[in-house]
Parts: sequence; structure tokens; C-alpha cells
Amino acid sequence: MPPTAAIKSKQGKRGTKTTAETDDLDEWKKSKQLIKPKDQLELSDAELKEMVEKQLSTVNPQIPDSLVQFSFSDGEFVPIPPPGSLILVFHSEGTLLYKDSQEARKQLIEEGIDPDTYFEQTSETEFGTEVSETPDESVTTAEEEQTEDEKPEGEEGEKPEGEEGAQGEKPAEEKHEEEHDDDEGEAEDVETQETQTIPPPMANFTSNVNQWIIYDGYQQDWEQQQREKELERERREKDKAPVGRIQIIKKSTGKQQLSEIVQAKMFSCWRVLERMVNLNTYDDIAKDFRYWDDPADEFREEEGTLLPLWKFSYNKTKKHVVTDLEWNPYYYDLFAVCFGHVDYTKPMSWGAVCLYTLKNPSFPDYICTTASSVMCVDIHPKYPYMILLGLYDGSIEIFNIQETCKEPAHRSNNVTDKHRGIVWEVKWVSNLPDGELNFYSVSIDGKVNHWIVMENTMVVTTIITLFLDKEPVSGPDGTLLKAKVFFSACASCVKFHPKNSTIFLVGTEDGLIYKCSTEYSSAYLLTYKAHQMPVYRIDFNSYNTDIFISCSGDWRIKIWEDNRLGNVTTLKLSPNLRLPCKAPKKQQHLDQWTLQCMKLDRILSLVREPVTLTLPPDTSGIEES
Amino acid sequence: MSNEVDETMKRIQSHKGVVGTIVVNSEGIAIKSTLDNTTTVQYAGLISSLMDKARSVVRDLDPSNDLTFLRIRSKKHEIMVAPDKEFILIVVQNPTD
Repeated sequence: MPPTAAIKSKQGKRGTKTTAETDDLDEWKKSKQLIKPKDQLELSDAELKEMVEKQLSTVNPQIPDSLVQFSFSDGEFVPIPPPGSLILVFHSEGTLLYKDSQEARKQLIEEGIDPDTYFEQTSETEFGTEVSETPDESVTTAEEEQTEDEKPEGEEGEKPEGEEGAQGEKPAEEKHEEEHDDDEGEAEDVETQETQTIPPPMANFTSNVNQWIIYDGYQQDWEQQQREKELERERREKDKAPVGRIQIIKKSTGKQQLSEIVQAKMFSCWRVLERMVNLNTYDDIAKDFRYWDDPADEFREEEGTLLPLWKFSYNKTKKHVVTDLEWNPYYYDLFAVCFGHVDYTKPMSWGAVCLYTLKNPSFPDYICTTASSVMCVDIHPKYPYMILLGLYDGSIEIFNIQETCKEPAHRSNNVTDKHRGIVWEVKWVSNLPDGELNFYSVSIDGKVNHWIVMENTMVVTTIITLFLDKEPVSGPDGTLLKAKVFFSACASCVKFHPKNSTIFLVGTEDGLIYKCSTEYSSAYLLTYKAHQMPVYRIDFNSYNTDIFISCSGDWRIKIWEDNRLGNVTTLKLSPNLRLPCKAPKKQQHLDQWTLQCMKLDRILSLVREPVTLTLPPDTSGIEES
Repeated sequence: MSNEVDETMKRIQSHKGVVGTIVVNSEGIAIKSTLDNTTTVQYAGLISSLMDKARSVVRDLDPSNDLTFLRIRSKKHEIMVAPDKEFILIVVQNPTD
């Protein structure tokens, strides 16, 4: 180990040699704040300056002693020699040779120099000048470095280069000092380099992983795969397709489309929220609908009280007249309301159909506006979104409210044989064998039309043109005028037989009801002289299809039996009524309905016999009270 | 479409007992509101964090399921929420009015 004095002198030397480097170091040190532990021992200056000497010993405490190994040949443990205390820390093959070694001599001989004379020359210059010493020294320092590194392990004694002894021309002390100078310098360089690194950029990232995030990930991946497959298929088809064929590429305007989807979603969400709000607001009414019962009804015979529940209104159609109502056959809470006009002195320039739901009485769910007053509506029993409208101007429109409420899906504008008067009733009938939608319509012009809805157009066939079945009357000049030719009856309503789809009843504005068949257009099957005023609606009994009911502007509802001209019973009403009561389709009303049937049965049993006995079949004008 | 959305929102606001309606975007910022500023911010922040929690409850139970609507009935109000990926709609109603 070098003496302390030597170290001190070296420190001084380093101070002058590497001022620039230390400056850098100081700068770096300044920026660094030293953190002292609170319980650090406070030392006085004298104590701090005190040199604590440490000595390195040649004994390696890490080496295990008295190792044993089991010898299978002897069948016992035998001691094995201790592993040498030599630890090789660094090993490098050098290209330098000792000049007085055998190899060096060989090299010199190969180069054609006589080693003996060469050595004599070099030894002279070596002692004469200091400069020539450096190559030699570089060799020794390299050697010494190696030994220096090994020193901490206590290998001083076992220097691998034992032949070094030959170069001991220099005093040992001096040599040591020089070595150390170089050593210290190198060590310093390493230290400064170590501290100059800039911390790499860092970012915090946190995320949760749970079941559904993983599920979504897989779902997205699956979609991605499907999309790629689709693209692949398209590409393949494109390759197959002949060149020159025009490829129509739908360019989706990314953001706009996206926002439209979001808008649509938002709209549907608002609608649900509106229903939620209504659920709170109309809670009382919903309870009344379910549970309200007037106890006073017990004491009123044959009478009951009605409680109005919901009130539906739409601001824009306040001046219109409600001309027709129709429940949706699929969604029990949905119904269509036609807005038009009846009084021809106060015509309306436009009409509308509003679809209301009981869940939202404040605003219609769908609004379809038309160019003319809407007079009648029908909803397809199989496709509850197909809304069929008959208009005041004789045209017919079909809306597909699933797609749009703004434009009708079909319109009878460019059909040649359309109606020429108010369409009073439209009725969907079951689809044709090849799946085409078709319906019947009756109009004030006396025609019963059958329409088939094709993809782009509507095809119309006139089933029957109603005529007045009257005796020829004598004209002013004595000739007989056949009314059949000149006067057609004005149809006002139609109803198909629920079981036989070829039979239908047509009510007219003269108060007659004609029973017709779609197979004959020239004659009526039967004529009922039903009412004094226009017949507004006819409906068949849902349970006994031989019985039907009609209502009229003469404030009377009449119940009829098929094939019998006299009416069975008459009910008088005070207000003007256009719609007879229909059989409610909900299960919960069945009890009430069977009750009504029982009532009707009783009436029938009372009435039937006297009517057939006392009245001839064709005198239907007599009413019973 | 946006016209209809606005109309519906206005209509809901005119319903009986509705205290306020708020539209919150995906970042939890209120973009439309009929309430005052502080209340809106409070509702938007609290409800959107509640939505995250509620959705994770529903989805943790069954990953193929999702949260569609949420109603919170309190003594004074009923808060109806329609959460979506892109927005949250909030309606505050006083049902006893």
C-alpha cells in the first residue's frame, strides 16, 4: 500500500491537472441535494480529519475450509483440498511482449535484428533519456493495473507475470508513484462520466383490467376479424369482376354519419326519458285505469259511470276533427288517430295521422302529415308499422313508420283508376299467396276497390261499383229511367266477414247495408234496409260470426243476424257516434266481454222468437225500444 | 334529427315537475343544461362517476350485459339517467309536484 504522504502529493497534482473536470463535477454536485438521515452521528472536525486505517489481509474469509465429498469407491466422506484463494477478476490477452523474453528474442530474430546488439543499444538510450521510458512503462502499468485490481482479493503475492523481475532497473518507490498517478487520473474520468446521464423520459400509466374489459377486447377483436374477412372477400370479388365495370363505392362521410348515429341514439334516449317522466306524472291515472271502481254503480241498474283517463292532444292539429281511430294490433298501447275535417264548409288544407301511446299522452310518438285531410286509417295486422290512409281527396297513402314518417312509402297519385271522392274506409286483408300486401277501399264514388301493393306501384281493381237497387222511375217525359245506370250508391263503410274472406258488407250513405261477394260484381247477395241516415261502421261479432252490428248517423246501433233481414235489437244513443264498440283484445277484459255476450245471448233469446213470428222478414224499419 | 332532439328536450323541460335537464358529453362535461352553472357541474361530475360505477357493476355480473337506464328516487327528486358511450342524459323531476 502506498504511504499517506504519497497520496497527499498526488492530490495536489490532481488539483492542478484536472481543474476543468472538477468544475463540472462541482456544478453537478450543487444541483444534487444531500439527504442526511436524522439520526446521523455528529462528528467534530478533529474526528472527521482522523485517518482510519484499514488493512487488507491475505486471508479470504469467503473460502470454505474443510470441504468433504462422498467417495463411492471408499463408501465414506473424504476431505477434498481447499479451492485456491486465487480469484481471477480480469484477464486480457495482450499483444505486448517483454523485450528480454524468449518470444521477443524470437521476434527480433525473425525481423532480422540481432537481439543482443539491440538490447545493448536500447539499454543505453533507456538510461540516457526519460522519453524512451514510456513504452516500457506502459507495459508495466498495464501489468500493474492487473495486479492492483487483484489486490483487494489478497493476491499480491501471486503475480502471474513472475518473469517481470528482469525489468527492475528502476527504484521501486518511484515506479509506484508514477503508477498511482496514472491510476488516479483514470479513476476520476470514470467517475465524472457516470454522473452525466440524463434521466430517460417517463410517463405514468394506470389502467384497470376486469372481466368486461377483457370481454370487450375480445368482442372488438372478433369484429375486426370479421371486417377483415369481409374486405378480403370484397377484394377477391373485385379481382374476379371484369375490368371496366363501374364500381360504386359508397363514401361515408365519417364524422357526419357518426354524429347522426349519436343524434339518433340521443333521440331515442330522450323519448324513453320522456316516458319515465310521464310515468311519474300520470301515475294516478295509471292506478285509476287499473283499480278505479265507482261503488255507486252497485245501485244503478243497467248503468255505470265512466271515468275519463288520458287526454291526448297535439298542438298543431287542434283545429282538425278526429275522423278515425285505430288500435295497433301488435302494440296494445299504441293507436292511430286521423285528423281531418267533416264539415265541407270548413275545409282543412292538410291532415295528419298521429300515433299515440298510452305511455306518453303528452305527445304523439309518430306524426305523419298529408296533403289532404285524413279520413280513415288501418294498420296492417302482420306488419304493425304499415299504416294505410284514405284521404279526403280520394287518394290513398301508405306510410312505413319504421323507416320514415315524412314521406309515404306508397301513394296512389299516379294510379289511373283511383277514387274520385272521399275514401271512407280502408282495410288491409291477408297477404296474397306470393306475399304481396293488398287491401280494399270504399269511397263516396260508390266503388269498392282492391289494391295490390307492388314494390314501386299500386295496382287497382274495382271489385264492385255500387248501384241503387230501385225500380225504374218515370221521367218527366214519361220514359222509364233506370236508376241503376244513373245513380250509384255512396259507400261509407266496409267490413269483411271474419271467416269467409270473399263476403263483405258495405254500408252506404242512404242507410242501406249491402252484402256482397268479391266474386260477383253485378248483384248484391242481400240488401238490409238498415238505417235512416248514413251507415258509419259495421262490425262482426268476434265469437258468433253470424251476428253483426251497425251504427249510423240516426243515433242508433243495430244488431243483426246474418241472412235475416229484420234487425235483432236496436240501441239508441244520444250523441252522434261513428264507431261501434269493438272487442277488446286484452286478456284482462275477457270477463267483461263474456258478460256482454251473455247479455246479448239473453236479448237474442228474448227477441228472436217474437221477431220471426210477428214481423215479415223484409220489414226492418220497425224498431224496438 | 338534431332539431327533433332539441324539441324533445324542450318538451321534457315543459313537463310537469321537471326541475332540469342536462346533457353531458363523454368526458363528463355538461354541454347543455337548464339548471344553473354550479348545480349542473355538480350533477354532471357526480352522475358520470356514478354511471361508471353502475355500469361496471352490471358488466361485472355479466359482460354481455350493459347498463341502459338508471333512475334514482330520492325524498325530494327523481333523477333519471340515460347513459351512453358518447353522452349521458339527465332529467331531474320532482314527482310530487
